[in-house]
Amino acid sequence: MTISPDSIILLQWGPLHLTATVAYTWLVMALLVLVSWLVTRRLSTGTGMSRWQNLVEVLVTGMRDQIRQVSRQDPGRYLPFVGSLFIFIATANLLNVVPGYMAPTGSLSTTTALAICVFVAVPLYGVVYEGPVRYLRHYVRPTWLMLPFNVIGEISRTIALAVRLYGNIMSGTVLAGILLSLTPYFFPVVMQLLGLLTGMIQAYIFAVLAMVYIASATSAHEAQN
Amino acid sequence: MQIDWITVSAQIVNFLLLVWLLKHFLYGPVIRAMNRREERISERLDEAREREKEAQQEARRYEQKTAELEAQREEMLATARQEAEEEKKRLLDEARTEAHEARDEWRQEVERERVDFLDGLRRHIGRNFHDLARKALGELADARLEAQVVEVFIDRLKSLDQEDARALAADTDRLAVASAFELDSATRSRLTRAIHDELGKNLDVEYRQAEEVVCGLVLAGGGVRIGWNLAHYLDDLAAAVEETLAAPEAARE
Repeated sequence: MTISPDSIILLQWGPLHLTATVAYTWLVMALLVLVSWLVTRRLSTGTGMSRWQNLVEVLVTGMRDQIRQVSRQDPGRYLPFVGSLFIFIATANLLNVVPGYMAPTGSLSTTTALAICVFVAVPLYGVVYEGPVRYLRHYVRPTWLMLPFNVIGEISRTIALAVRLYGNIMSGTVLAGILLSLTPYFFPVVMQLLGLLTGMIQAYIFAVLAMVYIASATSAHEAQN
Repeated sequence: MQIDWITVSAQIVNFLLLVWLLKHFLYGPVIRAMNRREERISERLDEAREREKEAQQEARRYEQKTAELEAQREEMLATARQEAEEEKKRLLDEARTEAHEARDEWRQEVERERVDFLDGLRRHIGRNFHDLARKALGELADARLEAQVVEVFIDRLKSLDQEDARALAADTDRLAVASAFELDSATRSRLTRAIHDELGKNLDVEYRQAEEVVCGLVLAGGGVRIGWNLAHYLDDLAAAVEETLAAPEAARE
């Protein structure tokens, strides 16, 4: 039984290899870009609009509202990063209902990659929007003694982010596999439904946590303003 | 639980690529479209507000104009009514005046005709009576009517009381005798003698013929008249006839 799509290697060029994780990621990306392009190809600015445009606008507006609520800042500069996290994870998880598909988020490599992105993005946003000195001062608050704990906390929450998503999605797949061998036919379907719910919740949690981390790095500056 | 670091780096690249692609294909266009829509909606709202304001102004203007027209119409109607009233009054006055004038004229005409008729009647009756009396007297007696008249005149002269005789001869030495017919000299001398006997010797007596004396003799002077004149009878008759003629008129009025 394959637990992770990482173990499926499709192509191999010397040390480089193409795993199923990357392939499915590309599939998800292609799907997202295609749908986006099709919908935004002909956008209406009038009162009438297509259903797809309506759906996309609801999605984008909802994400902007969520970001605004969490960060209490203008959502414009966070939307591409945080929104893409949510859309990618949600789509990757939802496609689990397609037979033969394996969610790339069920691979620790993918979740680690996303967590590393967040890990890098937090100081990046902080430095860009707050200045390096003011950002670095976060680590010595309230005293110098807290510096190591702050650093550890930064790293540990990144690991937690990666493992949380991986564990949830991987467990869903594993659970489905085990149940399939024990009680075939109907029960795995219910678990699949549960897996869809978990996948959506995890996508939301991941994106919101990323936003919270970024917001905590930039909030001092905003508060002063 | 294993981490394939090649896959991790590939996924990082993939994710950054996805971020860029979605930004380019999804967020950018959608947000732009939404902003543009909001702009257009606010533009339209502004436009609508502007138009509503204009429409209200227009409506106010029309209301004002309607009120003005109404007032003008009322004024014109009032003027026309007043003019019509005045015209009616004027026409009525005119008609009344004309009617009055016509009635007055008609009355004068009637009055004139009546007077003319009475005059003519009086003259006619007098003449006829004169002719009739003369004829009758001539037929009844041998003496001519004039002689009889002269006799009556002399009788009256003789029976005149003192006061009247004095009044006749008081402030004049000349007396006129008017007669309807030509008196012959014998009659004249007889008359003169009678007057001298009764009134005084030194009085001049003049004889003349007069139209108004229908038939007879009249001696006038000092506010006293004596004599016999058919005109008196004729006047009485004419008065009687006039009274008779006037009676229906009086009854009519």
